[in-house]
Amino acid sequence: MKKITNTFPLCVGLMLLLLSSVLQAEVPTFTIEIRGHLFYPSQLVVPANTKIKLLVINQDPTPEEFESYELNREKVIMGGAKATIFIGPLKPGDYPFFGEFNPKTAQGVIRVEQ
Amino acid sequence: MVDAVLLVLREVLEAALMFSLLLALSRQYELRLVWSLWALLIGVLGSWFLAHNAYAIADALEGTGQEILNAGLYAVVALSFILLALMLMPKLYKQAALQRLSLSLLFVIIVSCSLMREGSEVWIYLSSFTHKPDALTSALIGAIIGTGIGLSLGAITYYLLVFMRRQFFLPTFLVIATLLAGGLSMQIAKQLLQIGLLDSAEPLWDSSFIVAEQSWLGELLYALLGYDAQPTPIQIIFYGAAITPILLAGLFLVAQVVLGGVWRKRDQSND
Repeated sequence: MKKITNTFPLCVGLMLLLLSSVLQAEVPTFTIEIRGHLFYPSQLVVPANTKIKLLVINQDPTPEEFESYELNREKVIMGGAKATIFIGPLKPGDYPFFGEFNPKTAQGVIRVEQ
Repeated sequence: MVDAVLLVLREVLEAALMFSLLLALSRQYELRLVWSLWALLIGVLGSWFLAHNAYAIADALEGTGQEILNAGLYAVVALSFILLALMLMPKLYKQAALQRLSLSLLFVIIVSCSLMREGSEVWIYLSSFTHKPDALTSALIGAIIGTGIGLSLGAITYYLLVFMRRQFFLPTFLVIATLLAGGLSMQIAKQLLQIGLLDSAEPLWDSSFIVAEQSWLGELLYALLGYDAQPTPIQIIFYGAAITPILLAGLFLVAQVVLGGVWRKRDQSND
């Protein structure tokens, strides 16, 4: 049984190697800022079927968690820090996101257009 | 305050359910419970340490430190569950003493790593209120209520499992451990997708019209089984990789028992 468990990390490692080789290409970057527990812009338009790099800059002194069920992403961003989050390729449509630490005010949507 | 209740509950639930599951296992097999104190101690201190170093962690490895650390913690817990399932499986058909020390060690690893990862977010969340005393009080009360609800759900799980007869408990435990290992490894994939280390693709399916992730049932299933309403193909591959060793071991065991029966019969007829 031990042998079978030992191959698990190896499999994961192999998959990583195979799939990370594709990612070296240039990825379009979009920036979102957090100020006063609000997202700027609160609506971001991005192209469909493209891998995208989101740069989220937290201008507040307090931490925030960028979260989206639709995008399947969550990331804590400390006060005054910035975070990179890769999303897509996505089909056209609206993908809401919110700040989990201030869910009432910090809301936004990523609009994916063809 | 409601925000704080929900946030803390969401973070605490997963660790609380795993804790209950392992406590029930310990009670069923009359293991000593000292491990639980160590697990809580290491988990709480560890989560505080991670929160305290959140800036450094987030900046590490070109800004991917948080995800790599989370993926690592998920991986340790998933592997521990796989190992635990493989160690327990032979007990399905023969009653043998459990190796107490190694089991307790696994329990400590599982609970403390889960608590560390989830707890650190709670500390970070609470830290944002340190300069606003009024808001801090309300957030703290919310956090206590959230922890209370999480622990209550854990207690219900514990009593459901601990009063189960042992021949039903072990199969149930193995099924839950398998699903947990699968769900956790999907979370590893999710962390690696987030930092672009793995390439995303369209989700294989969208079951959010049956159970939405943000619904109560969705949150519970997420905590219990790592439920994802829109998993990408790579997440499913990770799921498969995690449950395969347990399933293979299960098949091997069934084959052994069946063949064992056949051989015994043949021996008897030879006599």
